[in-house]
Order: sequence, then structure tokens, then C-alpha cells
Amino acid sequence: MLQWRENTEMEKMSDRNNREGIKGWLNPGRFGWERVAYWLQRLTGVGLLAYFVGHIYETSSLTQGPDAWTAMLELTQTPMGHLILLLVIGMSTYHSANGIRLIFTHGGKGLGKPGRPDYPYDAASLNYRQKSGIWIALILAAAAMLYGASVLFRGN
Amino acid sequence: MQIRESQIMKIHYITAIGALFVVAVHILMRLIMPFDMSLEYGNVIANYHNIPYAILLESVLVLIAIHGFNGLRVILLELRQSKAWEDGVTILTIVAMMGVIAYGTRTIIVANGLGFE
Repeated sequence: MLQWRENTEMEKMSDRNNREGIKGWLNPGRFGWERVAYWLQRLTGVGLLAYFVGHIYETSSLTQGPDAWTAMLELTQTPMGHLILLLVIGMSTYHSANGIRLIFTHGGKGLGKPGRPDYPYDAASLNYRQKSGIWIALILAAAAMLYGASVLFRGN
Repeated sequence: MQIRESQIMKIHYITAIGALFVVAVHILMRLIMPFDMSLEYGNVIANYHNIPYAILLESVLVLIAIHGFNGLRVILLELRQSKAWEDGVTILTIVAMMGVIAYGTRTIIVANGLGFE
């Protein structure tokens, strides 16, 4: 009986912890830039995975000869195709740069020293180094997209 | 054999750093000549016939597939937690990863000329 009650309590707690679902995941309001960086990392990751699968399908047309390859290029080498490629360039640059920041952070680098929790209880780990890393990732992504646009739209 | 989540995260980071290098080379191969010309059938097939480049493509395929599908697994596990969900997500992402690697490897082998020419 006691075990059953404990299990029920655990399930209730589990429900409470998960009640926000994907809304909680997407909400950037409570955690500032770090939260924006968090979901941008995940959204760009999912976007890049979708592109990766599409790219493998696209290149598989090579095995069906030159005509199939040219037909596939006619689909992708269009202004819309180039815009999607620009988005991929931006996503991959941001994901890489912010990912390097996260590797350092998970290794304990750039977190600062723990201090006494004084009002207004700002977390020492969410410091200027982390914010600079996020801004550098965003600026690098914008620069890569500009360079990509100069290559992709040079002939148009 | 049970693999710890910390070990999986190490694999996640190692594949990320590896992918960064091999993808950089893959993109540079598109920029050593005008972009449109680099996509012509003859030039692309010539890339695949070059064995070191074919090995590089296989590395891109394997590293990104492992990193990408493990990333997807992490996202899905953050959204919801239960034994059935976690097992289902893990199996689904491993199967998808293996399917993508197999399909991409087939393209590399056939385009390289090692296969069915």
C-alpha cells in the first residue's frame, strides 16, 4: 500500500515537472540570451539534420547517370534553392560556433568562480564570456551567410 | 552493455569536432573552381573516383549521422521522460542513423565505380 502511494506520488511529481512540454522548451522569456542560444542550437541542429538527409537523397541521383543528376540540379540550383542553402550556411556556422562554446562550458571553462548567492541572485555562470560567445556565433553566422550569398548569387 | 550518458556525450563532442574538419574540406572542394562548374556531373564523379576524397565523404557521412541522430535523441529525451519513450527514441534514432549511413555509403560505392559498373 505504502509502495503504491509512493509510486502515485512519484507519477504526480513527474507530471508536474513535465507539464509545460514543448512550450517550456521554446519559452525564451525567463532565461535571457542563454535560453535563446539553447533553442537556436536545437532548432539549427534539427534543420541541419533535415538538410543532411535531403542532401544524401539529392546526391544519390548521381548513381542514375548525368540526366538524373542534371534534373536534380535544376530542382535545387534555383533562387529558392540558393536561399535555402544560405539558411543552411547560417545554421551550420551558428551551430558550430555555439557548439564549441558549449564544449568548453561543459568542460567547466568560462563559467567563473562560484560565489555567495546575493540579491538579485544572478548566476555567476551566465557571465560576459558566455554572452560574448553567443554574440560571436551570431556574428560569424551572419558573415558566413554574406560570403555564401556572394558566391551563390555571383552569376545571377 | 550499458553505455553511460557521459560517454555518449563525449562521442557527441568528438564527432562534432571531427565533422567540423571534414565538412570544411568538403566545402573547400566546391570553392576551388567556380561553384556552378564544381557541380557539373563530370567534376562531381571525378571527386568520387578520387579514393582519399571518397574516404573523406564516408567520414562526413558517418560523423554527421552519429552526431545528428544522437542530437535528435537528446532533444526528444529532454521533451519527455519514461522508460518506454527513452527506449523507443533510442532504437528509432539508431535505426534511422544506420539507414542513412547505408544509403549514403551505397551512393559513394556506386559513384566511385567500385560497385555495379
